[in-house]
Amino acid sequence: MARASHPHAMHPKKPGSTRTAAPQMPPKFPMAGRYRAYTLFDWTGLIYLILGFMALEIVWALGTGKAEWVALMERFQNPIYVIFHVLALVSVIFVGVRFFGFFPKSQPPRIGPVKPPPQPVILGGLYVAWIGISAVFSLILSGALFR
Amino acid sequence: MSDLPKKKFVITRFDPDVDEVPKTQEYEIPVEPDWKVLDALNFIKDEIDGTLSHRWSCRMAVCGSCGMMVNGEPKLTCKETLADYGDTVEVSPLANFPIVRDLVVELDGFMDKFKSVKPWIIRAKELAVDEGPMRQSPEELEEFKQFSMCINCMLCYSACPVVANEPEFLGPAAIALGHRYNVDSRDEGAERRNEVFRGEGTVFSCSFANECSEVCPKHVDPAAAVNQAKFNAVIDWAKGLVLPRGGES
Repeated sequence: MARASHPHAMHPKKPGSTRTAAPQMPPKFPMAGRYRAYTLFDWTGLIYLILGFMALEIVWALGTGKAEWVALMERFQNPIYVIFHVLALVSVIFVGVRFFGFFPKSQPPRIGPVKPPPQPVILGGLYVAWIGISAVFSLILSGALFR
Repeated sequence: MSDLPKKKFVITRFDPDVDEVPKTQEYEIPVEPDWKVLDALNFIKDEIDGTLSHRWSCRMAVCGSCGMMVNGEPKLTCKETLADYGDTVEVSPLANFPIVRDLVVELDGFMDKFKSVKPWIIRAKELAVDEGPMRQSPEELEEFKQFSMCINCMLCYSACPVVANEPEFLGPAAIALGHRYNVDSRDEGAERRNEVFRGEGTVFSCSFANECSEVCPKHVDPAAAVNQAKFNAVIDWAKGLVLPRGGES
């Protein structure tokens, strides 16, 4: 048997007269079959938490002075940081692709009188926006824009 | 019959009068080439062990009664061809549901959730008979038709990791049904249902695993309905904040 679900999962408000056995989790949850991608998606939250702390550290270094900023930049060249950033990039792409795949069908058939565009158009728009914004940020960070 | 190939069935058994927890029992039976999983269960019940309990009715994927876990996946057993499975087939009751007996699960919790979304057309004022029928264009029908195809087989509940962990969660089929009425042009009860949808354990508990849509035998796509309902509930809430009288005319 699989692991137990929450003991009250799908229990009626008013218990019946027959004794029932506890509900069981889907046997493939969390790491087999399609659940694997979902669980992986959940775990990317840990990467974003660490990235959040790193962003706070960057802001702190910026506000403290040039020496702290230079020290932080040197630390970021450590291979562990580089590997983490690659991992973060992979997880952002994974979450982005997963989110974009689901987003079009999440749109209601209409908002008031307005109908959303067809799903392929929404999906295409998301990718164009993602690539466009990434390109603009890349140009800014490389110094090609707003130098 | 004896010349037919045999398959082993590992079936979950639970007798509430005797067993503390469910156990499994194995049966090896000859199977016809065109048999469905349900045919094998019926053969076991009719020919080998009359004490086996399972639900079924229409045998054509319409009634939604014969949902079970087959090799760990929620399936309609009347739709699953045995030839697609190996020599051993595991059949257990739907996951996430209390087990009443063998392969039969408790349905009342599901029915409680269904009722809470008010799955009927709500009108501010009923039309008088002499006013004729409420007309609906094919485009208006198309907006909810997909969500009305649900046969209440509960496979989506069995696949959902949120249902497994949050007992308050309304679940995919109930939300899809509520949403189906919310987008029905004849209905005027969206505000009342959205109050339910914005409550604890409702649409926002969904973490979009999308498993409900993957296992749905009728391609209802409950995950789409749940997330459209989220969108509508937020729009409804925002209208209440920025428009006079919540945007009500």
